[in-house]
Amino acid sequence: MSSEQYLAANLRRAVAEDPRTAELGVRITVRGDHVMLSGDVACADRRAALEEVLHEAAPELTIFNDVRVTPAGEPDGEEDLR
Amino acid sequence: MIRVAAVGDVHLGEDMRGRLRPALEKVGEHADILLLAGDLTRHGTVSEAQVVADEFADLPVPVVAVLGNHDHHDDKPLEVTKTLEDKGIHVLEGTTFTYRVNGCSIGVAGVKGFGGGFAGKCGSAFGEREMKAFIQHTCDIAESLEGALSELDTDIKVALTHYAPVPDTLRGEPPEIYPFLGSYLLGEAIDATGTDLAVHGHAHFGTEQGMTPGGVRVRNVAQPIIRHAYTVYVLEGNHS
Repeated sequence: MSSEQYLAANLRRAVAEDPRTAELGVRITVRGDHVMLSGDVACADRRAALEEVLHEAAPELTIFNDVRVTPAGEPDGEEDLR
Repeated sequence: MIRVAAVGDVHLGEDMRGRLRPALEKVGEHADILLLAGDLTRHGTVSEAQVVADEFADLPVPVVAVLGNHDHHDDKPLEVTKTLEDKGIHVLEGTTFTYRVNGCSIGVAGVKGFGGGFAGKCGSAFGEREMKAFIQHTCDIAESLEGALSELDTDIKVALTHYAPVPDTLRGEPPEIYPFLGSYLLGEAIDATGTDLAVHGHAHFGTEQGMTPGGVRVRNVAQPIIRHAYTVYVLEGNHS
């Protein structure tokens, strides 16, 4: 396993285990000196917290934060299972 | 006919207070009952559970929940459960909730569930104490789910879990982590009991639709999958 893969694994654990994030549903991909985040979180503050935790863990990396905030509106239909 | 609203993995905390409430206050226009498929909090603290309790309190339809792994993180599942129940949310763990509406009865049996993996690619209760405990936890929960589903004598029977009973609804997740996302033992319990629908959460990168080996529809309602405050399924009773 390359050091890039070890780094990605450590960063995944950091965002899962750090109480500021506690996010298990975010993908972290390291390529060279860039790290890309993808997935969904519940609100904009939590999206920002991911960057904070990652920057502390790996300040040398440039972060592409492609995480989306999950919409919380009414459903626009229903699925008929009859 | 019964309209079942469902959502999982809302991961509420103080920073989320009120965010779901506008859609929830209109849930009665869309559905007759609301199911919550676990991971209601982020860290499983009582203060986060209070936010959940307030968010889902006093809705025009019954609210039925199971806890998820996040709701256990602070090692206070009983306190979290009590906090939710104090606001009228029915929290299931090996237990059932029944309700009659539109001349049709619905029964929900709920458990948290656990991992272990799926047929042919699963762990066994063998070897180290930790491994035996891991699989035994799943076996106990699956047995509890089967018992609860068997007790139901309603027109519609729904299994509510946090962990997945089938791999179908995990498509999109890395296959290597499937054993941490669900267990075939839950699916086996669902297939043994004439269940009409299985609803779960947990897998944020999965897909919504699946089916058990016995032909029971399965839906992954993790909020990142359904992308609304809740989704709605319309069911018709088959059992009477």
